[in-house]
Amino acid sequence: MPNQFSSPDPLGIRLSGRGGQGIILGGVIIAQAAMYDGLFVVHTQSYGPEARLGSSKSEVVVSHFEISFPEVVNADVFLCLSREAYLKYHRHVSTSAVSIIDDLIATEDSLPNEIFLPLRRTARSLNNEMTANIVGIGALIALAHAAQPVSVEKAIREWVKPQFLDVNLMALEAGLSLIHHKSVRG
Amino acid sequence: MKLVQGNEAAVMGALAGGLDFYAGYPITPATEIMEQLSRILPSRGGVFIQMEDELAALGAVIGAAWGGMRAMTATSGPGFSLMQEHIGYAAMTQTPCVVIDSQRIGPSTGQPTMPAQGDVMQARWGSHGDRAALVLTASSVKDVFDMTRQAFIWAQDYRLPVIVLLDAVLSHMRENVELPPVPGPMTRQNAQIPENQPPFGSHPFQPFSDSTRTIVSGLSHDEDGMTQGSIGHQAEQIIRNQMADLDRDYSQIVQYRRYQLDDAKWAIVAYGITARAARAAVHLLRESGIRVGLLELMTLWPFPEKTVQEMAHVVHGLLIPELNLGQIVLPLKAAVCGLTPVFFMGRADGELFQPEEIAERIVRLDQKDVGVSTLIGRD
Repeated sequence: MPNQFSSPDPLGIRLSGRGGQGIILGGVIIAQAAMYDGLFVVHTQSYGPEARLGSSKSEVVVSHFEISFPEVVNADVFLCLSREAYLKYHRHVSTSAVSIIDDLIATEDSLPNEIFLPLRRTARSLNNEMTANIVGIGALIALAHAAQPVSVEKAIREWVKPQFLDVNLMALEAGLSLIHHKSVRG
Repeated sequence: MKLVQGNEAAVMGALAGGLDFYAGYPITPATEIMEQLSRILPSRGGVFIQMEDELAALGAVIGAAWGGMRAMTATSGPGFSLMQEHIGYAAMTQTPCVVIDSQRIGPSTGQPTMPAQGDVMQARWGSHGDRAALVLTASSVKDVFDMTRQAFIWAQDYRLPVIVLLDAVLSHMRENVELPPVPGPMTRQNAQIPENQPPFGSHPFQPFSDSTRTIVSGLSHDEDGMTQGSIGHQAEQIIRNQMADLDRDYSQIVQYRRYQLDDAKWAIVAYGITARAARAAVHLLRESGIRVGLLELMTLWPFPEKTVQEMAHVVHGLLIPELNLGQIVLPLKAAVCGLTPVFFMGRADGELFQPEEIAERIVRLDQKDVGVSTLIGRD
């Protein structure tokens, strides 16, 4: 699975979950990292009026060329951290998409391309479930090569508050390792 | 190159335009503008005030302008509705100021986080009475910077409240852009006022000073600001002259982008965030051999009538997609004058048009057109 994904241009990435899970920050970090890689990026965000909970969605378009339409229609890369977001978005993906789904989400109608990974469980083992977004990004860049790991690390250093920097860098490492060292439930 | 958010670009554009006074009342999706200026302005000797509501916010902005500051406020639909009285007051008192409206779905509270283009008519006609109007819009983070900066220049040149229309997606959207560094605080010296220069009418704006005495009133007034006597025609003349100034400078003011229009059979007319979907639709359609182009409007008022008319002579039809249920289509139809059919597609559900939807509509128009042409023997 890890080597089967060839990145289209433009590449549409969609992150989704509940408000408070760092979905928008996650998108900003991917966009910033892809920018460090020298690509054009557009990041958009969509959330409800609540400060926490409700559904949250963040999209990044990455391209070698100037980007016309800023939103993602069918995602090429999909990351999902909550059941509500899963039900809402998991079918809106392209035919060759990579979908990374947190394995605590109960699903009845999963699609063949969906990869279930212990994103929140890994984050909990780091004593900070809030870092599940970064664990997911680690897995995402290992599978879909949306940005260089070194660029993602640089972006995390720029966007994450200093007191949470170390745990987020550990989360990135853990996310990368989920793909590089472990077999996955597919 | 930096990753910049639309609202952040508005802040940078405003500072580049000389902003040193902001009064506002926070509202999604414009809040980041206020939040950032609350930190930036005091640290560079400017003034930031959170007011009790939007009426007071624009009132403070108008007062600050007369106090010699470059002043702005930012809001969204519900706040913009409340500001209409003072937009009229700024027009009547010829006060330079900038109002940013990041549009969200309405009417009323609507959906605070979802985009719309439903305030475009309100931006032109929301305040009672007649007035000259300058309304700008943007479709990219870079545009937001350029248009906000430009708004400050024109506010001063034409002595008008200039309105910049954004939307919820653009305000929160981040793109990598190259923007000029934010200039340091500007020191402005009051220009020498010719003796007895009237404070109103076709004269440069002069804020209050020690040596002048100016009455600023929303009542109809003459060039000296006097409200007594029979001054109706003089007040009308001031407004007419402002309109004439915009007419005179039409070709410098009216901004638009022509995209693949030279050989186009169909033209899409779009503005703001919708222009991005329209541009992507042009790509899709050109790939399938349909000759289509895009006219992207960047100034909505004055409306680019001449450009539209020239285009209407050569295309088979125009399609205008808007995130409302039919607003700019009205001046578009008026400008087209029946020279070519105008088709409209609108939505007000908080979603953007997708490029494929716009492309499909053009494909349908094209198929129908080819059918009719075959029937009547036209090319």
